[in-house]
Amino acid sequence: MNYQYDVAVIGAGPAGMASACSMAELGLSVLLLDEQARPGGQIYRNIENAPESRRNMLGSDYTIGAGLVRQLRSANLDYRSKAAVWQVEPDGTVFFSHEGASHCVKVERIVVATGAMERPVPFTGWTLPGVMGAGAANNLYKDSGLKPSGKVVIAGSGPLLLLEACQLASSGVEISAILETASLLPSLETFAQLPSALRRAGYLMKGVKMLWDIKRTGVPHLKSVKEIRAHGEDKLSKVTAMHNGEVVSFDADSLLVHFGVIPNTAMFSQLGCRHEWDSVQRYWYPVTDAWGRTSLERVFAAGDGTFVHGAGAAELKGRLTALEVAHSVGKLPRSQRDEQAALLQKKLARELYPRPFIDAMFAPDVNAYAFDDETLLCRCEHVTVAQIKDAVRRGCTNPNDVKALVRSGMGPCQGRMCGNAIVELLSMLTSEAPSDAERLRLRPPLKNVSMQEMASMRFEGGE
Amino acid sequence: MFKLDEPAAVEQVSITVDGKSTTVPAGATVASVLLEQGKEPFRISPVTGEVRSPYCLMGVCCECLCEIDGVKNRQACMEEVHEGMQVNRQIEEGGE
Repeated sequence: MNYQYDVAVIGAGPAGMASACSMAELGLSVLLLDEQARPGGQIYRNIENAPESRRNMLGSDYTIGAGLVRQLRSANLDYRSKAAVWQVEPDGTVFFSHEGASHCVKVERIVVATGAMERPVPFTGWTLPGVMGAGAANNLYKDSGLKPSGKVVIAGSGPLLLLEACQLASSGVEISAILETASLLPSLETFAQLPSALRRAGYLMKGVKMLWDIKRTGVPHLKSVKEIRAHGEDKLSKVTAMHNGEVVSFDADSLLVHFGVIPNTAMFSQLGCRHEWDSVQRYWYPVTDAWGRTSLERVFAAGDGTFVHGAGAAELKGRLTALEVAHSVGKLPRSQRDEQAALLQKKLARELYPRPFIDAMFAPDVNAYAFDDETLLCRCEHVTVAQIKDAVRRGCTNPNDVKALVRSGMGPCQGRMCGNAIVELLSMLTSEAPSDAERLRLRPPLKNVSMQEMASMRFEGGE
Repeated sequence: MFKLDEPAAVEQVSITVDGKSTTVPAGATVASVLLEQGKEPFRISPVTGEVRSPYCLMGVCCECLCEIDGVKNRQACMEEVHEGMQVNRQIEEGGE
């Protein structure tokens, strides 16, 4: 078999860029495919073109990505932007769409670095125009310098929620309220993780400063909030929630929600990688070893797509994976792999010190899901909580049975938006733990591609 | 509702949105252009006719699907504008 490249890396965020650059330096022929127009992933989105005012507002957690992007620009590899991968096979075949034409390449190894996404948490009214992810609003600012105008309500939980609130408040956006679902006081389990976190005290201080900055703005900041609901006819006009047993209500033009970040497992699912359910973070993640090897021989995973640890860790995971990929194709002896890995592993361990604390502090609370009968779980196919409850009464016990009966997960997003929530609802209704064998199946094409484009596909290099 | 919080970009391109021509920043995504111009909703759900607008702005939710250069159901958040681009929101009842 002739391979056109030693390796294809999918995704040009921190993990993808780092692993692609490292492998190019180690002498591998590398194809880096990324869906976006410019490198950076979500965290370093548009870093090359964002003007100074935007970079200042977003701070060093953003601007630090410029170094990695520069490294990519000078690396000896084949980087293709605007390349949407729509099918990947365990034998190393990769199909992607690029500028209106589809291509197929055969590679010896694949590194999937497709990152993470905001955890979609359905609630009544979440489909109204005016409601979007806090991360979505952040992306819009990175891309275009646009900020929400009018009355803004921010709701959910997690460090990124507070970061977004902080950035918007300090730049003069009118925030009506911050509705946090996390409880007033951290739990005992959270405090148990504090000693490890204190080894990176600077990191924690950032969080403390954020809370202080929010307090100083005087924006109402409600905690232990439940049952968030969005109201309006053809667009959002009001947000309500339960707080201390009472309904609170805020007029709103924008509702920005955030419930933490979960691995985007779409490509791993389509490939058929083995997954496990993390019962603390409450998400599926592809099972990998310390090198990022998945359950499939040719397929590696790097970055937040393997487990959410943040951008710093993602870059290090990408570089570690690069060493093992190079070793696996005979371009790096084991001794050199281990030698080069030692420092990276030390840095990664250091990067992860605060994670158990953060993860415990912001562990998703299943009770925060309101699951009203009329709430739309599947946005694409318009499937409500009531319909899924009914499907369970009729004998469905897993997401694929439910999908066959009521179409949840069958629309254009292919269950990316409803998959996690359906797992939560089914575990509540059936009291059974989520099982990998019954995980929502996702089929190619992973992206919207026209039939005409598929039919006129070019096979690069040939057989 | 969104507004630009910095001086407008120097380089602009001309596109048409719902048949009307407009000048927009080069390099912008179709979604950001529609949001800035208040062109909401982006589409109506073919299942129920409900109005929808972008939710994730990172290529996941498929709520920003628009007709771009004659091809329906393209993700507006992933497409960069180019000179002469034709964008139509999918807001006709019974559309795909």
